[in-house]
Amino acid sequence: MRLKKTVVAASAVAALALVAACGGGGGGSAGNTQQSYKGGGGAGAGKNATAQGPAAVPSDAASGGTMDVVTWAAPGTLDPTRTYYTDSGEIMNLVTRALTQYVYDPKSDDMVLEPDMATDLGQVSKDGLTWTFTLKDGLKYEDGSPVKAEDVAYAIKRSFAIDTLPDGPTYQLTFFKDGDLYKGPFASAAQLKKMKGYKSDWYSGDDYKGVETDGNKITIHLAKPFPDLDYYASFPVFTAIPQSKDTDPTSYEQHPLATGPYKFADYKPGAELKLVKNDQWDPNTDPGRIQSVDGWDFKFSQNQAKDENAILGDKGNAQTTVSYDNALAQNYKRASTQAPDQLTQGTSPCTYFWYIDMKKITDKRVREALSWAYPYQDAWKASGYIIGVTRQPGTSLLPPGTAGRVEYQYPEGQDGQTTDPAKSKALLKEAGALGFKIKFSYKTDVPESVSGKDAIVKGLKAGGFDPQPVASTSAKERELQSDNNAPLNIRSSGWCSDWPTGGSWFPAIFDGALVGQAGMPNKSNFKEADADKKQSEILHMTPDKSAAAWGEFDKWMQTTYMPVVNVGYAGVAMLHGSKVGGMYNDSTKGMPTFSTMYIKK
Amino acid sequence: MTVSDAMLEASTPDLTPGGAEPDKEIAGRSPMRIAFDRLKSDKIAIACTVIVLVFVVIAIFAPLLCDLFGVKLRDGGSKNLDQFNYPVIGPPDHPFTWKAPLGIQPNTGYDLLAEWLYGARTSLEVASITTVVATVLGVTIGLLAGFSRGWLDRVITFITDFFLSLPFIMVALAVSPMIVQRYAQNQTKLDRAQFISLILILSCFGWMTLARLIRGEVISLREREFIQAARVIGAPTRRILFKELLPNLVAPIVVAVSLGLPAYITAEAGLAYLGIGLTGRPSWGQTINKAVDWFNSYPLYLYAPVVGILLLVVALNLLGDAIRDAVDPKTRR
Repeated sequence: MRLKKTVVAASAVAALALVAACGGGGGGSAGNTQQSYKGGGGAGAGKNATAQGPAAVPSDAASGGTMDVVTWAAPGTLDPTRTYYTDSGEIMNLVTRALTQYVYDPKSDDMVLEPDMATDLGQVSKDGLTWTFTLKDGLKYEDGSPVKAEDVAYAIKRSFAIDTLPDGPTYQLTFFKDGDLYKGPFASAAQLKKMKGYKSDWYSGDDYKGVETDGNKITIHLAKPFPDLDYYASFPVFTAIPQSKDTDPTSYEQHPLATGPYKFADYKPGAELKLVKNDQWDPNTDPGRIQSVDGWDFKFSQNQAKDENAILGDKGNAQTTVSYDNALAQNYKRASTQAPDQLTQGTSPCTYFWYIDMKKITDKRVREALSWAYPYQDAWKASGYIIGVTRQPGTSLLPPGTAGRVEYQYPEGQDGQTTDPAKSKALLKEAGALGFKIKFSYKTDVPESVSGKDAIVKGLKAGGFDPQPVASTSAKERELQSDNNAPLNIRSSGWCSDWPTGGSWFPAIFDGALVGQAGMPNKSNFKEADADKKQSEILHMTPDKSAAAWGEFDKWMQTTYMPVVNVGYAGVAMLHGSKVGGMYNDSTKGMPTFSTMYIKK
Repeated sequence: MTVSDAMLEASTPDLTPGGAEPDKEIAGRSPMRIAFDRLKSDKIAIACTVIVLVFVVIAIFAPLLCDLFGVKLRDGGSKNLDQFNYPVIGPPDHPFTWKAPLGIQPNTGYDLLAEWLYGARTSLEVASITTVVATVLGVTIGLLAGFSRGWLDRVITFITDFFLSLPFIMVALAVSPMIVQRYAQNQTKLDRAQFISLILILSCFGWMTLARLIRGEVISLREREFIQAARVIGAPTRRILFKELLPNLVAPIVVAVSLGLPAYITAEAGLAYLGIGLTGRPSWGQTINKAVDWFNSYPLYLYAPVVGILLLVVALNLLGDAIRDAVDPKTRR
């Protein structure tokens, strides 16, 4: 899953905000507020296939009121099919129901996978190539019309039209039957021929061989086993979209038809989203959501410092205001010492990487030296992170809470926060690469980015490198990072679990086949035959074995090749007004659990 | 003697015919001399000059002053910070310490006094170079426009109006990312390019008022007898421009300079605050940009650069006013 996305900062003030972190779980708002990072924090690995609605509304919930949500970021799109960022995913969870869903479990303080529109978490055939979901009875759209299995099938078909609806998750292209051939319901034969890399067996239209419906049943056929499909079915991609309402696919995001407890009232992209109660939603069919407040008012591209001050001031509307940005360092201290009840903290399923370009930095000793030279503490603090809260020293690439995760340290003794210039210099000397040029980018218009760059330059110099930062701006940074020909040999970015196993990590960012593709999904240019072979073997394992195998692969890849430096796990610290109740941390996204939130009496 | 000299002298009582006492020596005083004497007796002007001089000394000797206080520029890092990224010594949580007289910058752990001293240097460097460039541009263009009749005057007037109509902030916003893009890979060049482009942008938008003023003065002067006389005896245009006209324009130029300096200091800080100024070196505007969000918990962080700018700008402005009064022959004291 991708980190929160911002629109281009409309004003310099908006650009003051910190780099987006996607974040993680735990930390109750009422009572047991966690003051420190939860070491083995959850990431939503648990499942409960028999959960039944309705979800209990807490006794201190006042019915009604409007919840205000503010953020400096702005979701690029709210089309269910294209929703692939942590923030838009959490927002759409209020509006569109999927086949399965993540529900906050107070007992384990973690997210648990439960059925949503489906009656269970799906039935998989013996060969692992067919999944069947059955829809519940009594599901309705906001206009009162019934939800049909065909509509879910249509939503799935829609997700193959990545030319019309780009930026969404793409696992279906890899795992579903004909995923590489079917191009979605929209393209005509003539348009198909115009697509890049056209092959004669490509097809489009309503007739897709990978999805079948029979009454209330949806059957999905796969090309190769996809043991984590039940997790993937919680993405808004697997909602229901009636084909008759989707006459103009690119503008469907203006008003996606609601199946959840709230529906769109007003949406101004990049600025504001207003939600109101959907009276057609039946709580008895939904084990995870409550409908306590009357409406939601999301305000995007806001001034974070100002909003946080208002929330901590806790007067009037601010009492029912929530921010899903990581608290600024200056406000975090104030909140944690003076108003700990207004702070929601926790872990997140994200890891920040320094992706090392394997084509340009070919000597492994140089890559190891980098991990000793990187000034972890200085760089984190200078970039405005609170160590132990919004940044946690990282060791294994998979973040804590991931199923099958193997804890290891590589290079030996590197606990994820140790800077040792002497070791770095020794390694560089051994490799004959003293003064090796390191090119990484930073944003000149974000003060935190500039000070972070200064700290890194100092650290790398001390470690015997010759740092050559490449200047960029907020508007151009993303483009630079995903440009295969950019003059960089380090790319600084992160990755978040789509579901808590290594299966949503390595095939997505370290698959040799991705090298050179547009958008640069494999930012390390990591292409090794034995690594690709191992990955393909793990993909063919059964779910019970594959999770552990990914954990081992993590250690093997890093010790054998070291294509990245782990520059820390992400964490979250979000602020909310004193009357906001039920705000937990969705540890699968690092967002507030909107679906359980209410206004206190 | 030029006309304005005569006017000035005529306004001094010493020249009243027959009124001079025999034993008092009559001394001729140049207009600049008179202005200087007036300035010397102006207490505010003296105080402001002292303040400005102190800042100039700070700017010139910033590295030495840092050594004197025992602080280093952009040194320290996370060891100066606690778990919340706040400083471990000095304000806001700890008492004053000479180790960091202006405190430590949160998040980065840099010493703020060093940042402030070097920030003064950046401010004055940018402001003084810009003032010189803008003044030279303004005077040259104004002289040319005023003295040439016909098409050249019209073209120059049009260009002046054109520049006046350009929105300054928009141009700065547009140029800044271009510079970053162009020099992305070389930090030293980028810093220099940002510095030069900042001066160019500021001076490109700073010469017009002076040029108009000079043009007006020249138009009124060029018809006077002494210019006519110079023409009659065949003085070349260059001589008329620089030897006859320019000395008469000293007063407006001095005033423009003294009022331009503080304007450029504010402009530099303003651009840095918007995130489009210099990024490679300390500047007051940048510090203010970062400090605004910390004001609630750490006011000194913001006060230091704000007081710096305030003092310097107010002093320069008052000094500018005093100079204007002093060189203006029409003011009487």
